[in-house]
Amino acid sequence: MESKPHRPTATEASAALLDAEVARARLADHIVTPSWFFASIGVAIAVQIATTAAGLGGDAPRLIAGGLAVFAAVAGIQLARFRRANGVWLGGFASRVVLGTATAASVTYALALAAAIWAAYGDRWWLMALWSAVGGAAYALSGGRWMQSYRGDPAAHARGESLAWLALMLAAGISGLVVLVLNA
Amino acid sequence: MAELDDHVVAPARLRLMTTLTAVSEAEFATVREALDVSDSVLSKHLGALEEVGYVRRHKGVHRGRRTTWISLTPRGRKALSAHVTALQALIDGIDWAPRL
Repeated sequence: MESKPHRPTATEASAALLDAEVARARLADHIVTPSWFFASIGVAIAVQIATTAAGLGGDAPRLIAGGLAVFAAVAGIQLARFRRANGVWLGGFASRVVLGTATAASVTYALALAAAIWAAYGDRWWLMALWSAVGGAAYALSGGRWMQSYRGDPAAHARGESLAWLALMLAAGISGLVVLVLNA
Repeated sequence: MAELDDHVVAPARLRLMTTLTAVSEAEFATVREALDVSDSVLSKHLGALEEVGYVRRHKGVHRGRRTTWISLTPRGRKALSAHVTALQALIDGIDWAPRL
C-alpha cells in the first residue's frame, strides 16, 4: 500500500513548480521542425492556390484536385517527419501550422485565394502566380511565428482544434470549392 | 479552495504531468529524456497515474520500433490545474484545508 505523501512546505512547493516548468520548457525547446518544413508547406499552399484559381478560371476541375493532392501529400509527409524527428505529436502544430487554422494563416490564405481567382478570371496569369506566391509565403511565415509562440508558452499552444471542428472546416472548404466549380 | 492532490504531490509526478501539457502525446524515451529519469522510475509513475485516470498509454511505433506513447487525459489536466492552484496558494501563504 502506498504511504501518505509528504505535504510540501511553501519552499518545496515553489521549487517543485519551478522544476516542473523547467522540464516542460526543456521538452518544448528540443522540438524542431524538419529541414525545409516551412518552405515546402509554403510552396504546396502556393501550388494549391494557383491550381484552384487556374482550375476555376480555365474551367479545369482536375487541376483543383491535383493541387489539393499535392498539398495533402506534402502535409502528410512533413507531419510524419515532424513526429519521427521529435518523438511527439503536437495537435496545435498540425492544425495551426499545417492546416492553417491560425488566424494569420487562414485570413491571408483566404485573401490570396480570392485575389488569385479574381486574377485568373481576368486572364491575368502573372498576377495569379504572384498572389499564389504571396499566399504561400504568408502561410509559411505564420507557421514560423506559431513556433515562437509555442516555445514561449507550450501548454497554451500544444493542443489543436477538435477533430469535429477540423471535419466541419474541411467540409465547408470542399463545399465552397464544389459551388465554385459548378458555377464556373 | 483547491486541494493538493495526493496522486500528483510527488515532485516527479508533477514534472511528468507538467511536461505532458507541452504536447498532445509523447513517446516514452522522449519523456524519459526530458525528465532525466530511468525507465523503471518513469514506468512506476506512469502506472500510478494511469491507475487514477490521469495519463493514457498506448502501444505504437517510433523510428521503426515498438514503443509506448503517453498523453495526459482531460481528467489529469484538470487534476494538475487544481494541484498547481493549491501549490500556488501554499506559496502565497494561504493555508490549505487538510483532506478528511
